[in-house]
Amino acid sequence: MMRASGYAVLLSFCLVAPFSRAAAQGDPRLERLDEATRPVVVALIDSARAVGLPVNPLVERALEGAIKGAPGATIATAVRRLAADLGRARDALGPGASPVELDAGAAALRAGAGPDVLTRLRRARGHRPVTMALAVLTDLVARGVPIDTATTAVLTLAATARDEDLVDFRRAVERDIAIGAPPAAAASIRVNAAAREARPGRP
Amino acid sequence: MFDDDAVERVVRYLRRSVRIDPALDHRVMEEIAALPAGPAVPAGGVWRWLTGHRLTLTPLGALGLAAAFVVAVVGVWRVRAAPDAVEPALRGFQFVLVEPHAANVSLVGDFNDWDATRTPMHRTPGDGLWSAVVPLEPGRYRYAFLIDGRLWVADPTAPTTRDDDFGAPSSVLTVGGL
Repeated sequence: MMRASGYAVLLSFCLVAPFSRAAAQGDPRLERLDEATRPVVVALIDSARAVGLPVNPLVERALEGAIKGAPGATIATAVRRLAADLGRARDALGPGASPVELDAGAAALRAGAGPDVLTRLRRARGHRPVTMALAVLTDLVARGVPIDTATTAVLTLAATARDEDLVDFRRAVERDIAIGAPPAAAASIRVNAAAREARPGRP
Repeated sequence: MFDDDAVERVVRYLRRSVRIDPALDHRVMEEIAALPAGPAVPAGGVWRWLTGHRLTLTPLGALGLAAAFVVAVVGVWRVRAAPDAVEPALRGFQFVLVEPHAANVSLVGDFNDWDATRTPMHRTPGDGLWSAVVPLEPGRYRYAFLIDGRLWVADPTAPTTRDDDFGAPSSVLTVGGL
């Protein structure tokens, strides 16, 4: 004989599972995918949702592929890869990470940062959001700064810098690169200057 | 023009002490009392009810009332102190592209579900500057410009994405706050 708790679990599954599947299938945005690609992407999104990952970045990635005319297999591969990166980002950042932090973490992983870097950044930022630190790290790599240099720079600033300071730092590096400075040198010089400002009185 | 003496006399006159008739207050109140009564004020009944009853509280009751007041005040304060937690603030971001030869340019990205029809960019008359302003919540957004419905261009002023899975570049904008 089934116990009351068993009935509760069964009832919960019956109530939630159809809605969970319908959430992805019924997302009108996914109707832009072709009929062969849509069920594959829906299944990937359902899997991600089942393990508690944010699904909106996956939907958006699929839509980006669709409007850019990518083949269905390419879209599915991109969505699958992003889901895996979001999962790795959550492992590194912790279960309390926000969807935006996970998205930024996934991008940082794709840029070449190791999961340990995400964990150290999370620790350095304390209770503050780690989104901007991860974004600046990724953006610096996109501008040509070697991943090790970018990692060192952002980790140096992460403990004390506000989000605005991190953005200012990135802009300063970008300006230096734009006028001809080697990306690694620009990042190093700027982070040293920022560190000196943070410790007034020291040479 | 006035000389200094004239000004001084005016000042002394204005500063003089004025004697007021001690019966003035009484006369004013009598005239007010003689005025006809106005329409009934609804709040008057409430006031009479409040002042006509005597509220008695036990020490325990008073403590409970004080606790309820504190909870209400703290609750209101917390809701007012953290509005962003309930509804993230939207900030307007301007996107700009110089493309003199384009007939039309669309801004397409995560913020408009990659729908090329939702954010057409507007051309400044007389030059090739295209722009659009989009309100954004905190988050990380991928986007690109679609020129004449066929050519994808990344934003030259923003970092490009590393994960270019689809063979056409995109840019990234991160809005801080979460």
